[in-house]
Amino acid sequence: MKVKEELESLIGAYVDGKIDEPGLERLNALLRRDAESRRVFAELLNVDSALAALAADWTAVRQPPRRGWAFHPVITAAAACVALAFGGWWWARSTAPFATVMEAAGCPGWVEDAELRGERCEIKAGTMSLRTARGARLVIEAPAEFSFESAQRIRVRRGRLAAEVPPTAKGFTVITPTGDAIDLGTRFGVDVPLAGAAEVHVFEGEVIAKAAGATEKQSLRGGDAVSFGEHVHTVRELRTSAFIQPDEMPGLSAGLAAGQRARSEAALAVLRRDPDLIALFDFEAPEPLPGVYRRVQGRWPGSHAPEFVGVGDHLKLDVGGLRSWPRLTLAAWVRLDRLGAPYQSLLHTDGWGKDRPGQVHWMITELTTMRLALYANQLAPGAEETHGYPDSRTSVLPEQGRWVHLVVVYDCEAGTVRFFFNGRFDKETLQSVANPARLGPAQIGNWDRHDRKLSGRVDELILLGRAMSDEEVRALFEAGTPYR
Amino acid sequence: MSPAETERHRCFLRLFTAHEPAVRAHVRRLVPARADADDVMQEISVVLWEKFDAFRQGEDFRRWAFGVARFEVLAWLRDKGRDRLVLDEEVVAKLAEETAADEPRLERQREALEVCVGKVPREQRDLLMRAYEPESRIQEVAQSSGRSVAGFYQWLHRMRRMLLDCVRRAAGQEVNG
Repeated sequence: MKVKEELESLIGAYVDGKIDEPGLERLNALLRRDAESRRVFAELLNVDSALAALAADWTAVRQPPRRGWAFHPVITAAAACVALAFGGWWWARSTAPFATVMEAAGCPGWVEDAELRGERCEIKAGTMSLRTARGARLVIEAPAEFSFESAQRIRVRRGRLAAEVPPTAKGFTVITPTGDAIDLGTRFGVDVPLAGAAEVHVFEGEVIAKAAGATEKQSLRGGDAVSFGEHVHTVRELRTSAFIQPDEMPGLSAGLAAGQRARSEAALAVLRRDPDLIALFDFEAPEPLPGVYRRVQGRWPGSHAPEFVGVGDHLKLDVGGLRSWPRLTLAAWVRLDRLGAPYQSLLHTDGWGKDRPGQVHWMITELTTMRLALYANQLAPGAEETHGYPDSRTSVLPEQGRWVHLVVVYDCEAGTVRFFFNGRFDKETLQSVANPARLGPAQIGNWDRHDRKLSGRVDELILLGRAMSDEEVRALFEAGTPYR
Repeated sequence: MSPAETERHRCFLRLFTAHEPAVRAHVRRLVPARADADDVMQEISVVLWEKFDAFRQGEDFRRWAFGVARFEVLAWLRDKGRDRLVLDEEVVAKLAEETAADEPRLERQREALEVCVGKVPREQRDLLMRAYEPESRIQEVAQSSGRSVAGFYQWLHRMRRMLLDCVRRAAGQEVNG
């Protein structure tokens, strides 16, 4: 009896990693000489491994406390996952999936309800939403490569991930090549570029960030953002809308399913034949346009759009030549990350001076309205605007973090500037002095004189040398919207 | 991959998936910590795939995998034994042999565990699962249970002992001593 108790106590210490050298010697001696001791030993370790397997599943399906809680039949043994590498194939298993695909919008090779365990996943195009076994909602945007290590850990090699983590999944961790983000019940995003440091953006709640190799962790609160440098964190400006959020997914999926992409392409094909077209940028040309910007996904799976992130980011163009344009329509699909900066450039011709009356500056103001400024133009008496330039009435604020269609139509003979948001007419401002518009060398997303960086993406920019009718603007929006 | 390669790969995955929990439990019985079992399992899975050519269709995959596992565990112990407290090679070799033969009974016990854990009062069951969940921090779990760390380990021993009695009964075993 005494020996049995001693044996069990030694086994306990051994299982918990607490055994000392004399203890291990004694355990060795007992096990060596007695088959029954070995049998008890094996059985206790067998219970230990079965408990670990059960716990992995149990945590996977743990729900907030409820009455009459009982083990759900889906809980079976074995869940710890082994990533298995052979011949470049990654594969892993467990009885319960770590995550399930909820929506796969334009992701070739992916289907809804696909169950993910430890396999290596790649999304070449599109956007995918997932739900982990513990209820965290994730949206991952292409191009992305990732794998789950458990329902609570995802390793992202590349891509953009937004997470909404309920209390049941507190501790959910995103591992990147340059650092980790551990969630404490919150909403946050992680951006892992192909090269360079990953960034963590906290929209709400608290996240613990730890750069690879760093000894210090950092607690980030809502509104904070950092990038993972060499052992350190660098503060970043928060870019909420760089991430597609779970609530945006249904609209995007439905838009794709309804054939919006084809409608958009058809509308562009018609515009390309328009004799008054000055330029149309869909940003799909294989050779990138000059400038400093990131090339990321546009409105459609696998399409491209420039994204402006850092101070000074811009895209250069030179269209419209030296001639003047009595009528001009500017249209763009824009996804704005943050607002409130004094000015965010949509399109700014270079410079701003007497020698070029009518030169165009199109922007978002600090009041989050749209502005079309033409050099040397003047507002008609009685105008609402107090800053001297035609401004929209509507704010783009409600559309922050989503794709929004912005249009302005200028007619110097009529002396009108007409603003449109998402196909809807917003307001008309009258100009008492109205020069024909001038284009030429310009920047999208910034200005060559001072930083007026647009925070976000621009997709499909159209410059048309005539005034689009309200009906045309509405049709352009309806054909081009990625949402349903 | 050629179609034949793909088929061979599929076949391997089917077998490995079916037997992985048993192989893992087997490895766990031979190494000091659960994390060690994860380590060795990685190695074993790679070796199994590499040697899959030598595996004959119709053969007992589990038995074959146990053989590979035993070899890998012993190599691992020799490697780690210099700076870790591990069991004697002789003891581990005996355990490997005996538990492989005893696996059907041990598997029944593992299967019975879920029912046994289900009988544990809710609060204690939560604690137990938290102590065993991946990346668990025993100190924190101990603290939240109001026990000292040493006291919590004692409690864990008692729970395992109690659960062992239960799975023995549930798996149709006699209760010893």
